[in-house]
Amino acid sequence: MPDSKVKARCNLFAVLRGIEYLLEHDADCKKLVEGTNLAIQFNVKDGPKGNLSIRDGKAHMKSGKHKSSMILYFTSPEHFNKMIDGKANPIPLKGLHRIGFLTGPFMKLADKLNYYLRPEGDLLSDTDYFRMNTELTAYTAFYALAEIGNHDRMGKMCSAAMPDGILQVRVEDGIGIFIEVEKGRLTCRKGTHGEPRAILSFKNLEVAHRVLNGKLDTFTGLGNGEMGMRGYIPMLDNMNPILDLVPVYLS
Amino acid sequence: MIDTVYTHTKSMEVFERGLKVQPAGIPGHLGPVQSQFIPTSAFPLYAERAKDSYFWDLDGNRYIDYMCAYGPNVLGYNNDLVDNAAREQYEKGNCMPLPGRVQVELAELLCDTIKIADWAFFMKNGGDATGFARMIAQAATGRDKVVMVEGGYHGVAPWTQAVTHAGVTEDDVKNNLKVKWNDAAAFERLVNEYPGQIAAFISTPYDHRVFADNVLPADGYWQKIRRICDANGIVLIIDDVRCGFRLNLAGSAEYFGFEPDLACYCKALANGYNISSVVGRDSLKDAAAKVFYTGSYWSSAAPMAAAVACINELRRIDGARLMIEKGELLSSGLVTAAADAGLNLAISGVPSMFYMRLTNDDSLMMQQEFCAECARRGIFFVSHHNHFMNCSLTDDDIRQTIEIAAEAFRITARNNPDKVNK
Repeated sequence: MPDSKVKARCNLFAVLRGIEYLLEHDADCKKLVEGTNLAIQFNVKDGPKGNLSIRDGKAHMKSGKHKSSMILYFTSPEHFNKMIDGKANPIPLKGLHRIGFLTGPFMKLADKLNYYLRPEGDLLSDTDYFRMNTELTAYTAFYALAEIGNHDRMGKMCSAAMPDGILQVRVEDGIGIFIEVEKGRLTCRKGTHGEPRAILSFKNLEVAHRVLNGKLDTFTGLGNGEMGMRGYIPMLDNMNPILDLVPVYLS
Repeated sequence: MIDTVYTHTKSMEVFERGLKVQPAGIPGHLGPVQSQFIPTSAFPLYAERAKDSYFWDLDGNRYIDYMCAYGPNVLGYNNDLVDNAAREQYEKGNCMPLPGRVQVELAELLCDTIKIADWAFFMKNGGDATGFARMIAQAATGRDKVVMVEGGYHGVAPWTQAVTHAGVTEDDVKNNLKVKWNDAAAFERLVNEYPGQIAAFISTPYDHRVFADNVLPADGYWQKIRRICDANGIVLIIDDVRCGFRLNLAGSAEYFGFEPDLACYCKALANGYNISSVVGRDSLKDAAAKVFYTGSYWSSAAPMAAAVACINELRRIDGARLMIEKGELLSSGLVTAAADAGLNLAISGVPSMFYMRLTNDDSLMMQQEFCAECARRGIFFVSHHNHFMNCSLTDDDIRQTIEIAAEAFRITARNNPDKVNK
C-alpha cells in the first residue's frame, strides 16, 4: 500500500520533473513555452513543497518554497495525487492572471508527459519515441527511487543500509543518472559522475527499456552480459528493494 | 607473462539454457550475480569435475581454487579416504528407516574432537544448525529474543535475513536484536534493556562478513561476552559453520580462548558430503532432545561415514595448522606481488580463511578487475568473500598462484594508472 505523502513526492519530484526533459528534447514542447518566464510553487498541505520554474525554454524543478509567479495549493497529498491523475484541480493562491498558462501550455505539457510515459499502439516502433520513452521512464524511476528511499518506511530501511558514495546508473554510450548516498540520504542527479563507487550499466537503450518495463529481470541481464555491475555492490544490493517499490508508487 | 587466457563458451551455452528453466539461471550463492563474477564473461559458470585443489570448467579450463565450494573442500576435492568411506557406507546402506551405527561413531568423534562438545546432533546445512541452536536456546530459557552481530551471516532462514530482503517480513525478525562486532558494552546495554528476555547471543568466532576487511575479536572481547551471558542466563552460540576446523580442530572458540554453550558446524565436516551439526554442553542436552527438529535425509549414513573419515584425517595431519601455514605463505606472496605492481593488498582474517582487498580504491573495482584477470588465467578468487585454504594445496600451487596473481596485479595497475602507488 503506497504512502500517499510519498506518492505525492514521487509525482512532484519525479513525474512533474519530466517537464525538464520535455523542454530539452521535444521541439513542440519547447515551442509551447516560448517567451514564458514564470515559476509555479506547488504547496501540498502535510506534503511536499516544490517549485517548477520555466524560463529561456528550460524548466527546473526545485524542492521547497522559492520565489514564484503562481502558487498552487493542495489540501492534502491525496488532493495533489488526484490532480496528477487528472481527477482534481489545484487551488490557485497567487498569480491568477497566469491561469491561462496552467489551463493551456501546462496542460499540454502534462499531456505530453503522459504521451511519452504511457506508450500506445505502435509508438515504440518509432526510434525517437522509443528513446524518449526509455530515457524519460529512467529519469522518472530513479528520481522516484530517491524519494521512496528518503521517505517510505521500508525504503528508509534500505537507504539506511546503503554505504555512502555515488551509485552510477548508465546506458553505455547513453544517458547517465547517479544517486548520491550520504548517511542514508539519497539525492538523484542526471549525468555521469567521475568517481562512482558502484555502477549499474545497461548495454544499450533497448536493454534499459526491457528492464524498466519488467521484460528483463536483472539476474538474467547481469548473467548474460546485457547488464553490468561493478564496484561496491552493497550499494546496489540495498538499492534494488527500493527500485522494486517504484512501480508501487508510479503505477 | 602468462599467455593463456581462458574463454567460457560452453559455460555460457549451458547458462543460457539455465536462464530459461531456473530462477537467476544459477540459483543461490553460486550464481554469477551472487558470486560477484564481474564481468560474468571472465568467470566459469559450471564445473565439470574437481580433484584436490583444482576444478575444471565445461570448456576444459583448469583452476586452482581458493573458494573450496565456499568451504566444504577441506582435504582436497574427491579425497580418496573420504570417498572410500562414503562409498563403503553407500554399499551397506545410506538413507534407511533407522540410522546407521556410524551416527553414534560420528557423535563420539565430535565429542572427542571439539572441546565443548558433550553431545552432537546432525542435520544437513549450516542454516539447519543455526536454526536448531536458536530453538534450543529458546527452549532452555523460555525467552524469545536473540542478539546477533550486525552484518553477521547465519544462513538464509527468514530470521537470519534483513527485513528489507525479498520474502522476509517484519514478524520474521522482530525478536532479533543487533550489536556491532567487538562491542561487548552494547551487548550489556541490550541485556539491561531487555531483562530476562534474551535467549541467546549468536555470532561467528570473528567478523568475516562479505565486502569488508575481516576483523578478529579484540583482546578480552569473548571473555566479556561469556561473562555477560553467564550472569544473565543467556546461551552463547558460536556459528562455526564457516570457520569450523580451519582455525582449530577443537573449535574456533578454543582458538580464541573461550567456551560457548552451543557450536554449529557444517562446511569442513565431511569434505563435501552433505551434513551439518550442532554440538553442545551437557546442560543443554535435554533442551536439544525436546526440540522437534528433523529432516528426510538427516540420518543418512554415508555423509556420516565421510565425516568420520574427514575428521580423522584432519586430526592425523593437523589440518587447521596446515591450512593456516599455507594461508600465511600465500598471503605474504600476494602482498609482495601487489606491492611490486604498485598496489596495496590488505589481507585480513585468519590466514586459512583470508579476505583480501586492494586498498588503492574503496569501491572494490580494482579488486574485481584483479579477480577477473586471475580467473582468465586459472586462479579462482572472488572479490567479496573470504577465501578458503585446503589441505591438498601444494607449494607449487601457491607459487603458480602468486605468479599469475602478479600478472593480474600488473594488468590492474596498468588499467588504473591514477590509483597506483606513487
